[in-house]
Amino acid sequence: MATLLTFVNWLLPLAYLAVAADYAATFILRTRTHVRNPALAGVIVLHAAFLTAWGLHAGVLPLGEIHEILSLIALSSAILYAVIEFTSRDRRAGVFILLLVFLIQYTASVQLAGPIARGRAAAIDESGGLHVIPAIFAYTAIAFAAVCSVLYLAGQRALKRHSFGVLFDRLPPLDLLGTMSWHALLTGFLLTTITMITGALLFRHMGGHARGGAFDVKVTAKIVTGSIAWAACLTAILGKTLFHWPLRRVCQFIVGTFVVILALFAASWILTAA
Amino acid sequence: MDLFVIGISHRTAPVEVREKVALPGPLSRQLLRTMHAEKTFEEILVADTCNRTEFYFVPHNDADPLPYILDHVARAKGAPADVEPSLFYRHRGPDAVRHLFSVAAGLDSQIVGESEILGQLKTGYRLALEERTAKFLLNKLMHRAFRVGKRIRTETQLGFGSTSVAQAAAELAGQVFAELAGKTILLVGAGKTVEAAAKTLVRPGVKQVIVANRTLSRAQELAADLSLGRGPAQEADEPITCPALLRLLGLMNAPGGSAPTPARIPARAVELVDLPAVIGEADIVLCSTGSPDLVLTHEALAEPIRRRQGLLLIVDIAVPRDVDPRLGKLPNVFLHNINDLDKVVEGTLARRRSEIPKAQAILDYEVAKFSAWRDSLDANATILQLRRRFELVQVEQLERYGRKFDPAAREQLQAFTQALINKALHQPITFLRSLSQEADTSEQLLMVDAVRRMFDLDSIETPGEDS
Repeated sequence: MATLLTFVNWLLPLAYLAVAADYAATFILRTRTHVRNPALAGVIVLHAAFLTAWGLHAGVLPLGEIHEILSLIALSSAILYAVIEFTSRDRRAGVFILLLVFLIQYTASVQLAGPIARGRAAAIDESGGLHVIPAIFAYTAIAFAAVCSVLYLAGQRALKRHSFGVLFDRLPPLDLLGTMSWHALLTGFLLTTITMITGALLFRHMGGHARGGAFDVKVTAKIVTGSIAWAACLTAILGKTLFHWPLRRVCQFIVGTFVVILALFAASWILTAA
Repeated sequence: MDLFVIGISHRTAPVEVREKVALPGPLSRQLLRTMHAEKTFEEILVADTCNRTEFYFVPHNDADPLPYILDHVARAKGAPADVEPSLFYRHRGPDAVRHLFSVAAGLDSQIVGESEILGQLKTGYRLALEERTAKFLLNKLMHRAFRVGKRIRTETQLGFGSTSVAQAAAELAGQVFAELAGKTILLVGAGKTVEAAAKTLVRPGVKQVIVANRTLSRAQELAADLSLGRGPAQEADEPITCPALLRLLGLMNAPGGSAPTPARIPARAVELVDLPAVIGEADIVLCSTGSPDLVLTHEALAEPIRRRQGLLLIVDIAVPRDVDPRLGKLPNVFLHNINDLDKVVEGTLARRRSEIPKAQAILDYEVAKFSAWRDSLDANATILQLRRRFELVQVEQLERYGRKFDPAAREQLQAFTQALINKALHQPITFLRSLSQEADTSEQLLMVDAVRRMFDLDSIETPGEDS
């Protein structure tokens, strides 16, 4: 079983890279832009099967370690993109999302190689999964919204400046990018809300102590990051619906939020390591 | 019996010369009818467009047909066709096939890759079918040309993008909106330019069209036109299959036959003073009025535009411009003028030109394939292949049943089967030999082709032939 898991662990990033290369060909050559990609569905099924098998092999939910969370983020991003491609029948944004998915899964696979060979040490209790899973999907949705927003801003800038160069006709239409970004933002907000509620309940269930036994820096950073992400999503949603922000401003706000979240994650990692 | 083409095009002659031999529909028909009656050519077809007049034909003899053609062109037009013969190009055999395929693919067109040429070739072919001057060889050739034209456009990007201002406007709309279905198009002006551009942009599924014009009656006329979907005629994608086409034409002309009803698009007309009231409804604004002053001003329209939700594409194809450039700076507004559309067209043409080598490679392959098929229609070669086909059957069946007999009986069996084959083939071979001794005609080629297809002779190799 360990040998098979090791093999699939290395196969996954390669499979994502191959699919990303296919999307890159679509982007560069402008061919098959409105055809759904069955290869992506195949890789997603393989990825889900791998995580299930790894969970069964380890005997716990594969959510306790950072590399497992990264792999789940990669999977959820791929699923989210596949759903959007399936409904919009436009695959021109695929190269950007799939390259990101490849990088995340490659990082996860490098770190997963050790635990697969040696056996898994850390575990997560069942109730923790109710908090961690929506958190993973929430950050994935926000990351997705950020990528779509960057593409929207790039396309919008090109059209505003009448620049019909490299990006012209290679990106999906602006309204589609805007819709993708907006829906991902709404999803991110909903999941962040669930994450915060389950997090609060879990914290209370543990008697005011985090898993390490103390209210440490890591937990504080998570609460701060989650709160900022939730507030930023809410601001963008209210800005668009109540104050009629143009899509450009909403996209700029989403990108800014994502950068702040990344910075907070990095700060948390540095502080914890120190 | 070989295929020839004689023609004149934008590559060899200026328009003043080309128009002396141009043969629009009725004249082409008249010319074909006369030539059919005089039996000058075995087969002939006229391809006439604004950039070329070409005669594809299979002659009965080796005499130069140009004087005869020019004489008949002059008679059909009722004016002398005094054109210097050196301005005509001539191709024969595979070169003629290559030329036609190249024309069908749009490689020989003034705007490389344009697709109208395929429709114009189909019109020429339809006329030849109706006048019965296209027979076996031209039928095969034209069907192949339509397929090659389509293949090259599918497998390369020779037909990519927009080459007209109207198409460029539609392409820009495609960059902003995933689909035009459910969108409202506002046309400002009701002149020819707007009408032509609108007919490219307005498609079934569009939510509504609003026409704003200084003269309301003209706006109402255009709105009614667009509402009825009276756009430019669409060319069928599929190549014409002659009997079906002729049946279709018969049906359409028959009493009680009816053309398909175009989908109605909601359209209404307003005056220019109503623009501030209607601009909030629009997703795409297309304008071209003859006004020397700005028609869509910042003062009048900035506020209604700011209040609306969603993206707004404004395409200003008027010279002088109709739209205040300051409107383009508003959020969610994308303003493009005629210069921007020209940039889109230039980019498209450059990209199409870069696809020519790929298209040429497909062309080479298809010409070789057609030439190989044409060469296979030789009666003598067909006789050899027919014998070979039966020999193969004999060998196979002897292998199968011969082992049940002793050697002496097997020899007798072989002699028997050989005699049977000789008897069975005697009549077909005599028939094919008689074809080979007569001058080629379309009917003869058709018969040889029928024999080849009946016995699947293209799948076998003649002894001594390289594999």
